[in-house]
Amino acid sequence: MANAVETAKDETGFEPKIVAFLCKWCSSAGSDLAGVSRLQYPSNAVPITIMCSGSMSPMFVLSAFNKGADGVLVSGCHPGDCHYLKGNFFARRKIYLVQKLLQFVGLENDRFRMSWVSAAEGVKFAGVVDEFVKDIKKLGPQTRLKAKR
Amino acid sequence: MIDVAALKAHAKSLLEKGSVRAVIGYRKSTAGLLAEPATIADADATDDLIFDPTCVQNLALYLVNDKKERVHSRSDDKRPIAVVAKGCDSRAITVLLQEKHFPRESVHVIGVSCEGTGVVDARKLAKKLDGKKALSVNFDGSEAFSITTEDGAQSIPAAEVMAERCLECRSAHPTLSDMTFGEAKSERALHAPFQAVKHKMKDEQDNRWAFWARQFDRCLRCYACRSVCPMCYCEECVVDSINFAVLPDTTADEKADRIKWIERSPARSETAMYHMVRAIHLAGRCVDCAECERVCPVNIPLRLLNTRLEMEAFETFEYNPGSDMNAPTLTSSFRDTDPNSFIR
Repeated sequence: MANAVETAKDETGFEPKIVAFLCKWCSSAGSDLAGVSRLQYPSNAVPITIMCSGSMSPMFVLSAFNKGADGVLVSGCHPGDCHYLKGNFFARRKIYLVQKLLQFVGLENDRFRMSWVSAAEGVKFAGVVDEFVKDIKKLGPQTRLKAKR
Repeated sequence: MIDVAALKAHAKSLLEKGSVRAVIGYRKSTAGLLAEPATIADADATDDLIFDPTCVQNLALYLVNDKKERVHSRSDDKRPIAVVAKGCDSRAITVLLQEKHFPRESVHVIGVSCEGTGVVDARKLAKKLDGKKALSVNFDGSEAFSITTEDGAQSIPAAEVMAERCLECRSAHPTLSDMTFGEAKSERALHAPFQAVKHKMKDEQDNRWAFWARQFDRCLRCYACRSVCPMCYCEECVVDSINFAVLPDTTADEKADRIKWIERSPARSETAMYHMVRAIHLAGRCVDCAECERVCPVNIPLRLLNTRLEMEAFETFEYNPGSDMNAPTLTSSFRDTDPNSFIR
């Protein structure tokens, strides 16, 4: 537990900013569960609740990078568990395309990630964020798509 | 080879019978080599219609523009409008029909097959001719263009001066038409499909970013690519909001709170955003007519960017834009077998 807190600070002092788009029905509840279970995990992810991963617009991803996010996480219900029955299937296809585009333009692969986290998987959510933060720390700040303001 | 006389006669009979409002086609331009799009409403003027390798424009755009104009028009003419469509144009029309942009009966498609040759790339041609000015380009059999300069006519293999997209073309024959001219010859296969994209993908990621950063830095944000694209028909574009009126009593808070996805400044980050938004909006819709790349005043390889997701649509999701007007679109459908391993 204490390790997780310590790994959040490395020698360069770089703290990644991660924007996490979480679906209301599964992943948001999953992140809540991680909180109420008192799991220790990095506090770098800023959660934004969306109604469904299928309502995730590619604009949100691009805009987050543009406004300075070091990483973007999209998380929804497991396939077959969507509250709206098939929203996450649409999301899967759309997010796949966004990911391929970002990679083609030259954004580092590890900066954009999708995960399936159910309402019962608080531990998995903490693990996903922990792993994401570690990977982004290796890459350093995101400068490619960030607006110079 | 296309029988242009038959094309003219068909257009003429349509207008004489009064079954269409007008015919959108190509005519000889008064300036430059490339043909110009023309809307012909007079049966006698159909003699101006041409079809040769200089007919590069995607006329589906004018159907979209026609719809915009008719919103404000007082005429209640419900007759369809006829349009001359090459293979790629007909695919664009199919995508528009698929998205229910206009009903099928409002358009009469005159399909023209570009057969083995496709259309000419003006930049390649200028290079090939060493600066000599081409006066006209015509089809010469199925594998060559006959090019007239002031020194006389010469025959050049089509593959040398053909537009890049035509080299990779997968369906030169119109997939949707009410009347078709030319041979039903679709497979050209001079280059493997998506060859340019695949070549670029072999590059290191950092080099790819360096490449795109250099391209995006040049962008003037003239929005020519958006204006020429038949698929970019949104009433309000993400880059310029028209619904936000700044009035004398608009407070600073209101101005600050409005959503501004992309700034207007031609900075690299904003330009990258603009082109990526366009690419993602074209996913599964881009028919690879390469008009965006042709009209770009600073030669940004937009076709390369837009065909990246077309390649994904075709190879991963087996989706071919513009092949079936009744099929669901790429992002409004899914399969159980869609890739899942990239998700944690």
